Amino acid sequence: MNPADVAQTVLPLSSSDVSIFALFWQAHWIVKSVMLGLLGCSVWVWAIAIEKFKLYALTKRAMDSFEQAFWSGQSLEDLYRSLSSRPTHSMAALFVAAMREWKRSFESELRTLAGLQARIEKVMDVTIAREIERLERRLLVLATVGSAGPFVGLFGTVWGIMTSFQSIAASKNTSLAVVAPGIAEALFATAIGLVAAIPATILYNKFVSEVNKQALRLEGFADEFAAILSRQIDERAQG
Amino acid sequence: MKTGLTISAIGHAALLLWAAFSFTSQPLSAAAPDSLPVDIISDTQFSQMMAGSKTAPKTETPKPLVDAFGEPKPAESAVAKVAEKPEIKPIPKEEPAEQKPPEPKPMEPLVEKKPPAKVEPKTDPIAEALKKEDAKKSAEAKAKAAAEKKKKPQLAFDPDQISALLDKRDPQRQASTGDTVNKEPSLGTTTGSASTLSQSEIDALRSRLAQLWNPPAGALNPQDLVVRIRVKLGRDGKLVGPPMVLTSGQGSVFEAARDGAVRALFQAQPFEMLRLDHYDLWKEMEITFDPREMIPG
Repeated sequence: MNPADVAQTVLPLSSSDVSIFALFWQAHWIVKSVMLGLLGCSVWVWAIAIEKFKLYALTKRAMDSFEQAFWSGQSLEDLYRSLSSRPTHSMAALFVAAMREWKRSFESELRTLAGLQARIEKVMDVTIAREIERLERRLLVLATVGSAGPFVGLFGTVWGIMTSFQSIAASKNTSLAVVAPGIAEALFATAIGLVAAIPATILYNKFVSEVNKQALRLEGFADEFAAILSRQIDERAQG
Repeated sequence: MKTGLTISAIGHAALLLWAAFSFTSQPLSAAAPDSLPVDIISDTQFSQMMAGSKTAPKTETPKPLVDAFGEPKPAESAVAKVAEKPEIKPIPKEEPAEQKPPEPKPMEPLVEKKPPAKVEPKTDPIAEALKKEDAKKSAEAKAKAAAEKKKKPQLAFDPDQISALLDKRDPQRQASTGDTVNKEPSLGTTTGSASTLSQSEIDALRSRLAQLWNPPAGALNPQDLVVRIRVKLGRDGKLVGPPMVLTSGQGSVFEAARDGAVRALFQAQPFEMLRLDHYDLWKEMEITFDPREMIPG
């Protein structure tokens, strides 16, 4: 047989489509589910990221405007009245919680000034914890995808290569053209895993540092406000 | 959360769509390999191809030209023609060339004598003297020309005749040939090496030992009776020191076989079938006595 004829008869077998969708459709269902899961992870990661970007921008702006109002010399009573009417977040929530405790203690018949300082600090601690929890919510998803994504993709790859080797053994043909589509399809799983994991890791690190910054700012405000209230308590106790 | 999710989903869909259109595989531009003609031959054909044949035609290879080997043969003289017959050397001719100039001298008296004898009264002395002078001159000129002609082979450096010094001989001189370079290829296998005992020597040794060794007949496991013995031989083909038995075995049958082998070695000496020029190869040998090879058939 003429070698050229052999080459021509072999070629059509190997001319398989290697576009993205073809890679997906050729895959084993386990590899398919891995790919789909990783794609979903990626979508979810970016949804969380967009939401967090918005949340942190809003929180920062709210903190800035509140601090401006707080240090503007406005009466704290007025500020409290204007803020307590609607649900608040971050620094305003901190202020409202502390003021509520303060007002309750003074407006009741028995003026319980002795433990007021401790109570105010406790209330503010709880509020800070709640606020940080709100800021940190869903960040763990990013961390999980960032660390587990490559492994999940690798699992898909290993499975795909396994099945492609099995089919090589079945077809008894080891030419690269027969092997290549299966391996490309398998590697596609790792590629999706990395596509999902790399942004997740980067965004997670960025958001964690953002949360730490805002938590520090909240704690600083809480300490300052506690000092102000403590001075007021002492003045009223003497007066 | 909803807005983020929709934005993310739309972004991913767009990315996938873009990838689907841009991610096309371009075939690598690898040139098709040249097809090689391949013949499928069987094992026997292959071994026949590799085995030597005694009837193979002997290919005459021309003797190679070598520069390094052989004795250079310098040309005897730079001027001499390269031919089988040595030319007559010009040197002996040079002496007569020098002697020739005196030759015309005897002519002078002859010329002088003649005129007085025959035509003395007719000729006036002046004309005679002139004639004489002419004859002398012509004779001298002749002699000189002859002398120069003969002198030519004498190599005097003449800048006008540098071209004469060039080697204008025809390229017919014998090139020097090598002494040992051209080895006639053997007709045996390519893996054959010369520095082993020749098969005839081995066969002769084996048949001699087989005659003398009587392994115990009817042994149950003949493979247990294989005895390997290391022997050291002197130049006279006799054992130097006792043979060393390398195999260990148990049982009286094995001992009988072992002792028989050692005895056979002692009886077989001197090993005259081993040639002395291979002494390096057989001065220390390991001989295997295998009863299975002793059984004829």
